[in-house]
Amino acid sequence: MRNGLGRALTAALALTALLAPLATAGEVVLRAGTVHAVDGSGPLKDGAVRIRDGVIVEVGANLVAPSGAKVIDYGPSAVIVPGFVAADSVYARGRASKRTAAPGLSALDGFDFYGQYSVALSHGVTAAYITPASGRLIAGQGAVVKLGGVDPGRRVLSSPATIHGSVRADARSVPGFWEPPIPPTVEEGLGYAKPQLPHSLMGAVLALEELMAGGEQALEAYGPRAASDLAALITGGTTWRLGANSVEEMRALLELSAQNGMPLVIDGGLEADVIAEELAAAGARVIFQVPFTANAPVRSWGQGEDSYWPNMSVPAELAKAGVDFAISHSGSTADLLFTARLAMRGGLDAEQALRAITLAPAEFLGAADRVGSLEPGKDADVLVMNGEPMAGGSVVATWLDGELAWSAQSSGGQSAGSDKASTKSSVVVIEVEELHIGNGQVLRPGAITLRDGQIVDVGSRVSRTAGAMVVRGFAATPGLIDAYGFLGLEGSKKSPAADFPMSRIVGPGDELDRRVALAGVTTVVLGPRGRGRAGLPMMPYKPAASSSARQVIADPITVRVDWTENNRLQSGQNVRGLLEKATKYVEGWAEYRRKLAEWEAAPKSESKAKSKDDEDEDEKDEDAEEDEKEEEKDTKKKKKKKGEEEPEPFPVTGIWEGMLVRPPFAEETSIRIQLINDAGEVEGSIRCSALSESLIQVTGRFADGELRISGLGSQGWVELIGTPKQGELEARVLVGESEIEFEAKRTRKDVPRASRPAASKLDEEADEPKGKPRSPKFDGKLEPFRRAMQGDGTIVVSVDREDEILACVDAFEAAGIRPVLYGADDLHYVADKVADRIAGVMLDYRIKIHDREKGLTFINRYAQIANAGIPIAFHSLAEEGAAELPTHAAYAVANGLSAKSALRALTSDVAAMFGMEDRVGLLQVGMDADVVLFDGPPLDPGSSVVHTWVNGEEISR
Amino acid sequence: MTLRRIPMQYSMQSTSQLFSRGAHQALRVSLFGLALAAVTSTASAMSPGGDLVIEAGRIITQAGGEITDGVIVIRDGRIEAIGAADEVERPWDLNVVGGPEFTAYPGFVEAHTSGGMDRANESIDVAPFLNIRDSIDPVSFFFEDVLRNGITTLGVHQGNNCVIGARGMVVRPVGRTVEELMVIGEFGLKLSAAPKSGSSRATQAQALRVAFDDLKSYLEDSVGERRYDGDKAKREALYQGRELDEEESKGRAMGGTAWKVDGLELIPRGELDVKQRPLLELVEGNYAAFIYCGAPMDVHLALEIARDNGFLHRTTLVLDNSCWKAADIIAEAGVSVVLDSAMTHIERDPYTGKEIETVVPRVFADRGVRFALSSNNASSQSLWYQAALANGLGIERSAALDAVTVIPAEILGLGDRVGSLQVGFDGNVVLSSGDPLSTTSWVEAVVVEGEQVYDRKTDARNQHLFEGQTPPVGKQSSMSQGSTGNRR
Repeated sequence: MRNGLGRALTAALALTALLAPLATAGEVVLRAGTVHAVDGSGPLKDGAVRIRDGVIVEVGANLVAPSGAKVIDYGPSAVIVPGFVAADSVYARGRASKRTAAPGLSALDGFDFYGQYSVALSHGVTAAYITPASGRLIAGQGAVVKLGGVDPGRRVLSSPATIHGSVRADARSVPGFWEPPIPPTVEEGLGYAKPQLPHSLMGAVLALEELMAGGEQALEAYGPRAASDLAALITGGTTWRLGANSVEEMRALLELSAQNGMPLVIDGGLEADVIAEELAAAGARVIFQVPFTANAPVRSWGQGEDSYWPNMSVPAELAKAGVDFAISHSGSTADLLFTARLAMRGGLDAEQALRAITLAPAEFLGAADRVGSLEPGKDADVLVMNGEPMAGGSVVATWLDGELAWSAQSSGGQSAGSDKASTKSSVVVIEVEELHIGNGQVLRPGAITLRDGQIVDVGSRVSRTAGAMVVRGFAATPGLIDAYGFLGLEGSKKSPAADFPMSRIVGPGDELDRRVALAGVTTVVLGPRGRGRAGLPMMPYKPAASSSARQVIADPITVRVDWTENNRLQSGQNVRGLLEKATKYVEGWAEYRRKLAEWEAAPKSESKAKSKDDEDEDEKDEDAEEDEKEEEKDTKKKKKKKGEEEPEPFPVTGIWEGMLVRPPFAEETSIRIQLINDAGEVEGSIRCSALSESLIQVTGRFADGELRISGLGSQGWVELIGTPKQGELEARVLVGESEIEFEAKRTRKDVPRASRPAASKLDEEADEPKGKPRSPKFDGKLEPFRRAMQGDGTIVVSVDREDEILACVDAFEAAGIRPVLYGADDLHYVADKVADRIAGVMLDYRIKIHDREKGLTFINRYAQIANAGIPIAFHSLAEEGAAELPTHAAYAVANGLSAKSALRALTSDVAAMFGMEDRVGLLQVGMDADVVLFDGPPLDPGSSVVHTWVNGEEISR
Repeated sequence: MTLRRIPMQYSMQSTSQLFSRGAHQALRVSLFGLALAAVTSTASAMSPGGDLVIEAGRIITQAGGEITDGVIVIRDGRIEAIGAADEVERPWDLNVVGGPEFTAYPGFVEAHTSGGMDRANESIDVAPFLNIRDSIDPVSFFFEDVLRNGITTLGVHQGNNCVIGARGMVVRPVGRTVEELMVIGEFGLKLSAAPKSGSSRATQAQALRVAFDDLKSYLEDSVGERRYDGDKAKREALYQGRELDEEESKGRAMGGTAWKVDGLELIPRGELDVKQRPLLELVEGNYAAFIYCGAPMDVHLALEIARDNGFLHRTTLVLDNSCWKAADIIAEAGVSVVLDSAMTHIERDPYTGKEIETVVPRVFADRGVRFALSSNNASSQSLWYQAALANGLGIERSAALDAVTVIPAEILGLGDRVGSLQVGFDGNVVLSSGDPLSTTSWVEAVVVEGEQVYDRKTDARNQHLFEGQTPPVGKQSSMSQGSTGNRR
């Protein structure tokens, strides 16, 4: 068979440099938690694959890597499998030949070796079967090629692999064959299309027999070449790959094969489960074409009683009967893995399914010496997946001929594999046995997906998208929150104003911040030390965030005020004053809003007197109005007269305009002088483009009839000396070294000046303001109070004694705020009295205290208050000491606080207290991706933090 | 029919010019008259060209250097002398064209074009028996436009949508009839490795291989029949009206290097099926081959067909601009190429999403492959523009100019006649107002074989468009300057 193309390829095929290979000088060892070699033995735990020069050298568990080898460890949750072999694809398909049998058509002619098969490679398909066409009795010769690879000469795995044909209905209705005679003559004419057989299954079998027999009949019916090309293929022992779906078709092929000794692979086999035993007895091989096309419109299979409906469990039946089978799907080669998983319906086990897309197609199609399994001597086509292939794992890296052809890490690029699989993937899937949502709910088991800094999926099982990095652990919680810490102050003891923007002093995370985050504390509510009259700001932020983008949660979120004064008699005065101010402030704003609404709703015409009870009164008012109007006119007239009659006291004041010519320019430019004379002192401006590009501000004097003004222009100092007389000015202007004379006329006697509109007489008589109501000033210090009064936040108030606690809570309740008590040493005595009226409490570090009234008993303050229904929070009052916070919480749990409350105290309750529950504190869809992974139950003394993510990025150790 | 060098046509001359040259001219006229009678559709008369002296401030010879203030003397359509003005003896009786403000350079050569034809492609897949001459249209605007842009020699071929197409021809864009246009009546057979519309790549490959297989079986059948004294071919030839003259009535053994059919000398060549003859000539190495490749994979097929049938040494590949990826194979095969008019190839890396732009001529220049440029359209992006663009994209000026003069001349088998200004070469000279690769220079005059056939001042379309002038009614257009009409 002519394989000139293959020869040309082996000669030299230069692939473009789009796939730049790694330079491998020696051996490569790939390690993973599980290795499926598909060689008959089961999965290998902690296996490794050793590769040299693009060929697998060794596969085994606990492999020792030779010195100088490049070792890449994908981690314990990675799975290594052989590259998938697609038993069918569309890569070389083109139009079928006009003849019903065209065994000379070669698939290799139609395959583009220069093409980029990136989609298939990124889904794990490394080798594919290609056929030149379909839909004919014999469509051509098939081949198996690699979809990538460094050495072009090694890309053809098997050719000719098969004689590709079909006895299905699609191959049984070929249009007639017409070849016009050249030249057409009068006798012969253009001819007509000669009908081509076969049209039935019987005809197809007969046709195949005729072709195999050769001779005149074959020549006549199928063209001059069909039989000879076929004979060449048959003597070469090429496998026949014939399409057959129904039971009759398969039986016919089995019989044909048995009679003629043709090596047969049945393609399609949609009803193969019915005759599974016969197939097994005949030793037939089946490539099952899964009847599902991905990414395509829904297909209707037929409404008749005996119409075929897709049955995915055929492979399971075939496996039970002992038939050798492969799984394929011609429509979308890239979705081969999904296709195989579909075919597992009916009970096919994962091992067999994997074999059906790797070794089985390689064996059927003659490529098993090169691909299909991980055995020494075979090509190093290896896939690294992030989970079991048949259980939802997806491909993370594809190796072809021992070189990394695709990896999910760098946005689709080939990154040289690092020594440790980096966890900088943009999608992270965390699978744990206990997923603590943060509000007390626990999912067992649970999984969570992080993408682009947010949580996108939470549940018992989540989907694993391609390229996701999967991390497994025991328990996961939301990132822990330190309710009041100093991390970020760097020792500063200043107490700034209440509206100081704390976000100015924090920046992206450094080493210290990361160490705190690695202890589990991802969010710190930062506030300055000390006391403030108007309160001190508190800002929650994530110290370990690597960029400022989503680092600050709110600035500020609240203020901290002190109820307790040094002089206890004055305790609360300051805070009460603040509350009063805040109340007035809020009322002022409410008033403004009300007025604004009214003003907008009212008609825009002038509003007159209010009372509208009597008509008489109306009339009176109207009369009064008329009088007013007349008065108005009078005053206006008077004003005018005044203006005209008055002698002009200010001969300089006004606007003077003229033209001047400045040599060497010949053109006249206009000059405009605006002056105000104030008892001899003149000031104003000159605009003249010849003298200055910008306005010249001038000052000077007017004395003895002479005006002298000067000012600085863009071209230098400008001086003007002139004599104004009755509206005309003769002047000369000195600029630089030139002196220019000109004349100007006064065009206006007054100079328009921007001034505040004075209240006119008419305004006094109006009852309501005509203009828009003015808004009150915005006070940054009181904004937190306003928000708290609207229920949108809280105020942190520091208070300790019982009586003061009660007074404080009462005061705040009067103002409509639910405060967070800070300190509150004696709260546990009055807890039930204030339980509903406070947002929460931040107790100090004394978790266990001695109950003085009950002898040697200890009270867990935290537990007691939590049990009273008051949300509690842990706070560190330290910078890097925040790292110890979870340990304190663990101590509280060990001494009586319920684990649920303790975790809530570190996550959702704190967030709710401050009003930031939309960003942090819970593991829910849409929240920031702050997650902590423990190796035991969280807040158990023996558990430690294994991984931490802040804004979706893992904090590295 | 073997490929013979058809001598040039005699171009227009006025009678007065003839008489002014004396007796030997008269003899020439009478010989010319005889030759005129013998013009057939394939052969043409042995006739000289014109005489002219060309002056130019700068002469780009494309043969090693430039001449400042030079003079070219053309006699009988060939360059008799070329050099600096003070070194070359100028005959006093010849017309002088040009002046010191002009730049002279050899007329550009377009190696492969499908312009100027009635229809570029045929429906029949394998039709080597067709001839471009039946489709070419001398009065098409295409020829007028290429002349305006300084192209004086073109290789016209069938379009790219075929399996095996017609035989092409080499023309000059001057004249009113096909004979006047013709430089070489038959040159080059067109093949296509890219699928004809309606085929797949596999069926195209099979069709190409089968065409040559069919030739082989036909020859073997004919020989086999002749050995048994059959004369079916002879009867068919007579029936089809094929005349067997001297050459045609003799048989000769099959030439070629790839495969042979023994006994072909038994059959007179004229008796062979006219549909198979051109392929036979191709296999024997008598025809050049122009193979179109639309994708890098097609290059492999083209080279395979050429190698397997023994005409690789006469093959020129006509490439689409994506075929730069197969440049290594092309360099190894040692064939010349004609590049697509689009000079950069842009594609997107599927992994990073970045666009990658490749300058196609550079790839070939780096590997030492000889490439010719083709024009993008006849008028504004003609060969001068393509050469200038290539120069701008990084090809050296000398390589860019070679790609539109010397190399296409070689591809068309006229490497010793056109493409450069040397003694003995055809007098095809372009006079322009500035550098040929400059966008601001005009082609002022074109001389084809010693006759000035274009003058921008009398180019009605150019003058109307750019100078706003309408030439006076009755004056002949520039194309037929000097034509008297009664010569053809």
